[in-house]
Amino acid sequence: MGVYVSTLAAPHSTTHTRSLAWLLLAVPCAGLLVFFVNPLFTVAWRSLTDASGAFTLGNYARLLDDPGLPRAALHSIETGLVTTFATIVFGLGIAMALHRSRLPGKALIRATLLLPMLAPSLVLGLGLVLLLGRNGLVHRLTGLPTDIYGFPGLVIANTLYGLPQVVLIVSAALARTPARHYDAAASMGATPWRQFIDVTLPRLRFALLAAAFLVFTETLTDFGSAVIVGGNYRVLAMEIYSEVVGQLDFAMGATLGMVLLLPALLSVWLSRLAKRRQDSGDAMPGRALAPARHIGRDVVLALVSLFALLPILAVVGTVAYVSFVKLWPYQQVLTLANYTGMTEGFGPVWTSLSMSFMAAVAGTLLVFALCAGLRKAPPPLVRAVQFMASLPAAVPGMVIGLGYVIAFNHGPWSGWMHGSLLIIAACSLYHYHAQAFLTMQTGMRQVPDALEDAVAAFGGGTREVLRDAVLPFTAPAAISTFFYLFMRSMATLSGVIFLVTADTGLASVTVMRLDENGFLAQAAAYAMCVVVAGALALGAMRLLLHILKERRHVA
Amino acid sequence: MQLRIEDISKAWGGNTVLDRVSFSAGASDFVCLLGPSGCGKTTLLRIVAGLTEPDSGRVELGGKDITRVPARERGMGIVFQSYSLFPDLTAAANVGYPMRLRGASASTIATRSTELLAKVGLGGFGGRFPDELSGGQQQRVALARALAAEPALLLLDEPLSALDPAIRTQLRGEIRSLQRSLGIPTIMVTHDQDEALALADTIVCMKAGRIEQIGAPRDLYERPASRFVADFIGHANLLPTAFVREVMPGFLERRPPGADATWELCLRPEDIVLDADPRGDAVVSDMTFLGNLARAGIVWRGQRLIAELHGRSTLTPGEAVAVDAIRGAWVCT
Repeated sequence: MGVYVSTLAAPHSTTHTRSLAWLLLAVPCAGLLVFFVNPLFTVAWRSLTDASGAFTLGNYARLLDDPGLPRAALHSIETGLVTTFATIVFGLGIAMALHRSRLPGKALIRATLLLPMLAPSLVLGLGLVLLLGRNGLVHRLTGLPTDIYGFPGLVIANTLYGLPQVVLIVSAALARTPARHYDAAASMGATPWRQFIDVTLPRLRFALLAAAFLVFTETLTDFGSAVIVGGNYRVLAMEIYSEVVGQLDFAMGATLGMVLLLPALLSVWLSRLAKRRQDSGDAMPGRALAPARHIGRDVVLALVSLFALLPILAVVGTVAYVSFVKLWPYQQVLTLANYTGMTEGFGPVWTSLSMSFMAAVAGTLLVFALCAGLRKAPPPLVRAVQFMASLPAAVPGMVIGLGYVIAFNHGPWSGWMHGSLLIIAACSLYHYHAQAFLTMQTGMRQVPDALEDAVAAFGGGTREVLRDAVLPFTAPAAISTFFYLFMRSMATLSGVIFLVTADTGLASVTVMRLDENGFLAQAAAYAMCVVVAGALALGAMRLLLHILKERRHVA
Repeated sequence: MQLRIEDISKAWGGNTVLDRVSFSAGASDFVCLLGPSGCGKTTLLRIVAGLTEPDSGRVELGGKDITRVPARERGMGIVFQSYSLFPDLTAAANVGYPMRLRGASASTIATRSTELLAKVGLGGFGGRFPDELSGGQQQRVALARALAAEPALLLLDEPLSALDPAIRTQLRGEIRSLQRSLGIPTIMVTHDQDEALALADTIVCMKAGRIEQIGAPRDLYERPASRFVADFIGHANLLPTAFVREVMPGFLERRPPGADATWELCLRPEDIVLDADPRGDAVVSDMTFLGNLARAGIVWRGQRLIAELHGRSTLTPGEAVAVDAIRGAWVCT
């Protein structure tokens, strides 16, 4: 028996496989340090130094001198609070309609909820202006004096943007509650309302808390709708933009960025605490819940859902409609001219597509390598890297973007980094790194340890372990990561707003510029390009995942 | 090929899992590492496989020191408890995998995969994917795969634990006869004493990172070295020295020297003889009917014992009996 063993050489050298395992971890970590930690520290350092580079707290003192800044902070907070409340109420209603009602057309609800994921807050803001602005569709049709700019516009745009995420989080928690708890409550005589209070709500506590923190952070740091529908109601994100782009005051921009960073960090930290306490549901999910007949409940949930979802359709529909109007709002003749005769051609769309593609390819590879490398790393290192890789969730896009400008446009590398598409792709990738990392880690957990050990025992090295044991189980996560990064990069505005130059006009930035100059129909056309690209990407992702599921026998 | 384990120690984060463990296995031995969960038996198997590095000690295979040789250069076949087949490969491709890694030709792989699948009773199943096979069939494929690269040593990590009892017994027999016919040295980890007794030439019984006893199944059952082994393998009635001195002084002759507390007498239930006797000093407390045998719980001068009676027993609870034992072994406490 043993004769064969001695004649059959093992396929690869050990040093080769060890260095590969080491590279898997080293390359993505170096990326995180250079392209995330470095710009972040640069912003923090810039806020603590004066023009000559000496340490000072003067920048923070200046914040209080300018009466506009505390007011902007107050505006940001009140918008955040009201948006969070509205989003949670409607999000809970829609999630209940999806999981605890017998309403027909649930597929329609789900499809509508996809729209805000494809249309960034910028597009939702634009749609609101076109629909309810002073010269909006409603005004032109009814003559009513509509004015959406300011607080109401911000709250509506951010609520619509946050809804799908709240529905997703709450739905996951609802799906984890097995039917037997309701059976038990009903057998003890609990009315449907009491069942909601005693069974449903307690199990949603942490999901609602996590969703609330998420929406609050996003609203606080949102730039897209602030720039379009904010008007004279100034919020912090707009102040940073004015300081940096308007007055070239990087120190003040950085200081305001730190002010924005703190509540975001706090919010993410609190939601972590909440998640840790979240009960993971029952080990045995048991029979799925079939909601009982209850007309009153269904009518209420239907009304809540309609009230929240119709505006999404109206807003996105208006953008689509206006993109075909010859000269909004004066000449409402339908035409394709906005698409065929775009001021800058399809250039910005192609630039956005190639930038997003770069971010998605590089991001998927880096995150895959990172998660694979972490599998065999010592626990203290794993914890440190996990923290660093998840931290971008707490950093507003504007802060990362500002860090990139200060760190790369003026540093030793500025020669080839300034204005390059690569740097924009990097910014986009690290802005959305946390969610990509989370998705991939979840996929990595599907890989059975025994399979990995089997490959090693049969003579495979790191390369074979990755190819034969890890990849079959993580392919769906890799596909999801790729399209997530692609779609987010297509739509992003806040992270890249400081990085674009005349040569690197992106579609989302072009929407903003055209809107500022009053070319609303062309802005709508570019916005629709972003939405359609997102929709196509989403369709491609679903198709790929479906094919993979059919072809591979991975559970 | 001879396997020698010498003074292997391993700790995880200050927690000693293996404490200077040594044993060796001969050219075609079937060795079972037996013990409760957490005794270090799986860690020991993984060290033999090269999947875990020991803190100290040596692993020798065929006279060669392989302690620092990585798993993939050791040429061992391994079967895990479950989930170790490639889900996206057919049964035949799974079996062919180790050969493919070693650069065998496609035709060699095809012939040998077919041959191995037939050997484990799965001829004709080569085109199925793992999710189209039952748990028992999946473990057969895993077994065929482990044998594919002509391993120097076959390692089985609780290969039957995830299966239904009926399949478990059947597959147990097949593993044994396959191992006999191939003459391949095999080490199996298990926490199931029946499995170890039925399969092993040698049982290595472990407790808390140390070896309690090494020996043939019969030795471990009839002459357990410690109270732990006596209790873990089969049922043991353990009697204190003072009690034995009082009721069965005959056994004291073969008692090793030492204080009363250091030794106990182990009586297996089938070695206890009960006679219905109104003058007997023991009382039947309960009877359990088990078909071909009956289990009697008795109280003998305050000491509770379990006895097994073959054939039809007429004893009833409350009846007085006289107790005797035909065999017993002294175990250290």
